[in-house]
Amino acid sequence: MMKKILSALLLGLFALPACAKLQVFACEPEWGSLVQELAGDKVDVSVGTTAMQDVHQIDAKPSLIARVRKANLLVCTGAELEVGWLPQLIQQSGNHAVADGPGYFMAASQITTLEKPSQVDRAAGDVHPEGNPHFQLDPYRVLKIADGLAARLAELDAANAATYQQRLADFTTRWQAAIKRWEARAAPLKGRKVIVHHVSWIYLEQWLGMQEVGALEPKPGVPPTSAHLSSLISTAKEQGVYAIISAAYQDPKPAQWLSERTGVPVVVLPYTVGGDAQSKDLFGLFDSTIDKLLGVAKK
Amino acid sequence: MTLEGLDISILGPAMVAGVIVLATHVPLGRQVLSRGIIFIDLAIAQIAAMGVIAAQFLGVPEHGIGVQIAAAVAALAGAALLAWTDRRWPKMQEPFIGTLFVLAATGGLLLLANNPQGGEHLKDLLVGQILWVSYRQLVPAALISLVLLAIMWLRGGRLAGVLFYALFALAITVSVQLVGVYLVFASLIVPALATSGLAGKRQLVAAYSVGIAGYLSGLVLSAVFDLPSGAMIVWTLAACALLVQLLPALRAPAPAAR
Repeated sequence: MMKKILSALLLGLFALPACAKLQVFACEPEWGSLVQELAGDKVDVSVGTTAMQDVHQIDAKPSLIARVRKANLLVCTGAELEVGWLPQLIQQSGNHAVADGPGYFMAASQITTLEKPSQVDRAAGDVHPEGNPHFQLDPYRVLKIADGLAARLAELDAANAATYQQRLADFTTRWQAAIKRWEARAAPLKGRKVIVHHVSWIYLEQWLGMQEVGALEPKPGVPPTSAHLSSLISTAKEQGVYAIISAAYQDPKPAQWLSERTGVPVVVLPYTVGGDAQSKDLFGLFDSTIDKLLGVAKK
Repeated sequence: MTLEGLDISILGPAMVAGVIVLATHVPLGRQVLSRGIIFIDLAIAQIAAMGVIAAQFLGVPEHGIGVQIAAAVAALAGAALLAWTDRRWPKMQEPFIGTLFVLAATGGLLLLANNPQGGEHLKDLLVGQILWVSYRQLVPAALISLVLLAIMWLRGGRLAGVLFYALFALAITVSVQLVGVYLVFASLIVPALATSGLAGKRQLVAAYSVGIAGYLSGLVLSAVFDLPSGAMIVWTLAACALLVQLLPALRAPAPAAR
């Protein structure tokens, strides 16, 4: 009898109660949106940051700790993007279920990152030793992450595993069709040269065949020097740069400054879900990004 | 409105951090106010941060005790310089403090141009976030505060030149990393300002009460309204300071009454 009660209790500890939904905490809106695509109303998602803030750092609010405390699964970018706050947040929450293991899902571990340095050299700036973490704008990588995430959801919530598998299949079909559509529309962008604000666009550039010829921040996280700015101006004028790309959350002043001196138009892209009115979900994010990039030519 | 953040295990360490910071800052704040050098805390915090950047420039590892020593040494050096200018040109102390503040802030930027990894530490040091504090981190801070309080008590609350600046530098270096520069400024100045009409023990008790009420109500409101805790506490400290002016016994005298 005692044994039975004990094993029932133990089971109860590890299995989710039938009525309780899986609680997911997503660090960024793009992963919140992806969880929504794959799980629908089978889980409760809460997103830690918005498209209008720089996710390298956040302001600590009590509710953030409370939400991580009750989470069964954390879905974050990884590759040290959140290194400034996620470790403290997990530690303060005291929730060991999401500190590592199945409850700790880092999108970066599902894919290969670009710009992974062979050696971490301080002189190269605020580089991420695990590669560039701004990969949410490559639809192929998003698809790979969706695969891994659906498997993780099924592992944590076996009762709904079939739903997650079926929703993944549905998402994959719609996403692949959308990729075809986006690639066809974005064909005129191939070979275009761009200057960026922060180096957060290489995955988008690589996907669409655009070429980055300069960045306003000479090294990530460091303000530019006058020599760097003058070389950017001459690059912009000589190389026929198509656009200067800035993200919705960034200060538009540096990009506008360069635009005024070179005549190259600025395009402010949503960067993630919620970055503009059209980017209500992942599909809207890519639609809007490509619309805005194509819109530059009409100006 | 939400009640999920209203949890003693979330707000508890932050409240203890607040009490530790207030313990040293309330008595120091009275002296800062009477000396008329209220921006000295910003200058010292910035010098400590520059010390950390300089240490990394010289190859000191990013984490651990080396950073703390660098911050403390830089803060003490800045304090020594200010103690000297205070003796040499007492009337010029406030402009000296301001100049030192901008020199330290921009000096950090110049060093960072070649060592950007230090940038994150500069931010860590200046914008310590009260919610990220853990009890383990509070133990050394509490010990240092106790030592500082003991020295102040032995001296009967009157701190002369170099000793005042040295104690102040150490207290600020500890507190800025716990709660950030905004809360340090508010904890130092607001309770002292609110109780400037009082003297002696009554002033201390009233100032500690204002400080503790400010931290407690700020933490609770930040949980209920889901707002950043540090910024909220600055505002509740100011609100508590205004509220105590309603008590006639505590009201700061109007200039005419002096």
